[in-house]
Amino acid sequence: MKRRSLWRAVLASTAGKVGVTLMLVLLGTSLLVLLTFPLDFGPARWSNPAVWADYPKAVPPAWTALLGADVVEHQVLESSEPSETTERGEGRVEVYDLDFDHAADAAPTFLSFSLGPVTFIERPPALSVTLLRPDGMSVPLLRTTIRGPRPAEEPPYLRHDQTPLRVLLTSESEVAQATADALNEAYDLDLTASDVAADPTAALFGAPGPDGTLAPLHGQYTAQVRVALASPEDSIDWVRFVVGGTVFGLLGTDASGRDLAQGLAFGLPVALLIGIAAATVSTVIGTSLGMLSGYRGGRVDLLIQRAADVVNNVPLLPLLIFFVFVFGAQLWLILLLLVAFSWPGLTILVRSMVLGLSGSQEVEAARAMGASGRQILVRHIFPHTAPYVFTQLIFFVPAVILAEAGLSFLGLGDPSLPTWGQILEDGFRTGAVFLGYWWWVVSPGLLIVLTAMTFMLLALAMEPVVNPRLRRD
Amino acid sequence: MSSSLLRPILVRAASLGAVLIIVLVLLVLTLGATGYSDNILQAQVGEELRGMRTSLSETVKDPDAVEEIIAARRAELEASYGLDRAWYERLPAVVAQVLVFDLGEARSIRAADGSNSVADIILERLPRTVMLLTTSLLITAFIGLTVGVWLSTRPGSRADRVVSYVAAITNGLPAWWAGILLILVFSFWLRILPSGGMYSTPPPEGPVASFLDLARHALLPILTLVLVSIGPSIYVIRTMTLNVALSDHVTVARAKGLPEGLIRRRHILRVAAPPIVTGLILGLAATLGGSILIETVFAWEGMGQLYFKTFSGQPDESIIIGLTFMFTLIYVAARLLLEVLYVFLDPRVRYQ
Repeated sequence: MKRRSLWRAVLASTAGKVGVTLMLVLLGTSLLVLLTFPLDFGPARWSNPAVWADYPKAVPPAWTALLGADVVEHQVLESSEPSETTERGEGRVEVYDLDFDHAADAAPTFLSFSLGPVTFIERPPALSVTLLRPDGMSVPLLRTTIRGPRPAEEPPYLRHDQTPLRVLLTSESEVAQATADALNEAYDLDLTASDVAADPTAALFGAPGPDGTLAPLHGQYTAQVRVALASPEDSIDWVRFVVGGTVFGLLGTDASGRDLAQGLAFGLPVALLIGIAAATVSTVIGTSLGMLSGYRGGRVDLLIQRAADVVNNVPLLPLLIFFVFVFGAQLWLILLLLVAFSWPGLTILVRSMVLGLSGSQEVEAARAMGASGRQILVRHIFPHTAPYVFTQLIFFVPAVILAEAGLSFLGLGDPSLPTWGQILEDGFRTGAVFLGYWWWVVSPGLLIVLTAMTFMLLALAMEPVVNPRLRRD
Repeated sequence: MSSSLLRPILVRAASLGAVLIIVLVLLVLTLGATGYSDNILQAQVGEELRGMRTSLSETVKDPDAVEEIIAARRAELEASYGLDRAWYERLPAVVAQVLVFDLGEARSIRAADGSNSVADIILERLPRTVMLLTTSLLITAFIGLTVGVWLSTRPGSRADRVVSYVAAITNGLPAWWAGILLILVFSFWLRILPSGGMYSTPPPEGPVASFLDLARHALLPILTLVLVSIGPSIYVIRTMTLNVALSDHVTVARAKGLPEGLIRRRHILRVAAPPIVTGLILGLAATLGGSILIETVFAWEGMGQLYFKTFSGQPDESIIIGLTFMFTLIYVAARLLLEVLYVFLDPRVRYQ
């Protein structure tokens, strides 16, 4: 069977066409991910809570809005240019107006404010954040001063150049008090700070309806940031106001706010690499042992076949668990074990093929012409088994991916690399299934199935070529 | 059975017995040479001494006296755990005991009645696993055989194609994830089945109600296992049967004008039986080991969970050794059973 005709036969079947298309999509996506993601994505971003602070926690994907759900979009309002500057004495007051619309009946999940590098010469800048509502009410959210000079520190003073100043406004008790006060005054209500603290955003984005309870207030809101700078040289780089959405991105977020789309995207090249690497090594070992066993015969054959028989019947997952607990969860170790226990199937099959081929006229002729044993194996036997071996390799990739996912799902994955199984485990362990966070467990599983299916379809399309008895018309 | 058949089977039995010994030797080597065994025991000694130290410090004021008592107790404990001997002296003794079915006592895991005998713990969990996994396998095998044999008479038909695609897809479908999806659908959204565990809280009174409750909890995991394995099961049996159905002797039988039913029974199924029975028996033996992933997803306290718990919680050496021994023994017994069955199933098997 020539390589080209194998290719043509694969493309002729529906399974082959779908498989090849999916394969190209998977390879293209992982290439894109490898080019755009940092290679230390796991420890540097995925496992770093600071990166995900301003993301809403455990919210479904944004497209759920299309299904008719009432959602608040996640909005990040950032500005580095003040909308208004007024001189005051030697210094100035900068006003940043960050406008956003609120049209949903649901309230945002949180509000947060952060600001970037601040420089000052003499007195530290003071700043305030106020929420201006469509009904004309204004709620003071934050009033603070940048930290002053430390003893023996020389001007200009640089603040928040490494980590920005970040305040989660909706968890501040002052905000709850201010909201209660403002609503009481504007609508003549009788709210206490603890009433508001139970659901601060519902109060911040609500007004009393006809029945007296708080109803959502739609319209344009403005987060107004005022910064008082004492000297002309003082500056502030940027301010940011985040309105936490009730939905996020393509695939939603997990309970610590991590964007699942990013974690799952990074998991794709990881899964492919794990699968292809282990499958290749295992196929090479399985084929070599099979050829050796079949061609040499005798005691070597007996030994290899007995070993294959035993290893073939060892349950893989319990063994993996055993070794991971004994040696620790490292990816290379897991792959090594997968390889060490997955060669027998192929060895047994290749051996039987070799036994059949050894008696063929081609091999007999080669032997008569004085070809060495190695030459016969490489030139006259291996090429006949090659398409079959290749099909087995492709069949084996999903098996590795599934084994790794299963192990990760038990919490035994290599913690330095986020994989689909680990994301699923995270979700299952923290009760995503029982809380109904379906997006957290459905999408990683779907990706595992999709990837495994791609390889299965390819192998399925190749099978009739390799095994003519299965050829159908 | 003539003696010409008995002797080779005895030889097989001996070689399978050797497999059992080899597995146990490998287990001892891995546990011992990596220092894992010593670590487990040291941790247990440390734990006991910590508890002792806190209770002692309340009654004995002199710190030197406390240290003295602790040191004495440590030596005592290390001797009783065998830590004063090297692993290659200690572990073979443990294995020798296991070989005569004395599985010893667990240190941290207990059976429901409080017994810490490893045999009791395993016997408590075995029926639960049988209820889940063996049941699912029997259901799957039954459907697989019926549909698979039926399909093999219509290769290339629409049903045949559908089954091969379903098989390909479910082959790449992790059962544990399918279980999670079913929990989401039946337990979270529809709220008609429990999401996991074995009994409701509070557990119902009476044996009948109790069993029904258990069965209700087993429904979802069994459904998961059957759904995931049914496609591949049908496909494998169909292909095995089809391979026989396409062979020459069947064509000859047809040419002779034998009735189709007779051909199917005598010329196809009779020939396809040995590999199918092999798969079924080895599969049944494997179910006794439980399924770690499915039992974890459904919080089902069977053999799989027991195995996982011995490692993930406080590692327990006697359970690790006991379970490994049992799993290997079951496998060896199943292989031996097959060797005997082959003689009846396949007339070509005549040991000489």
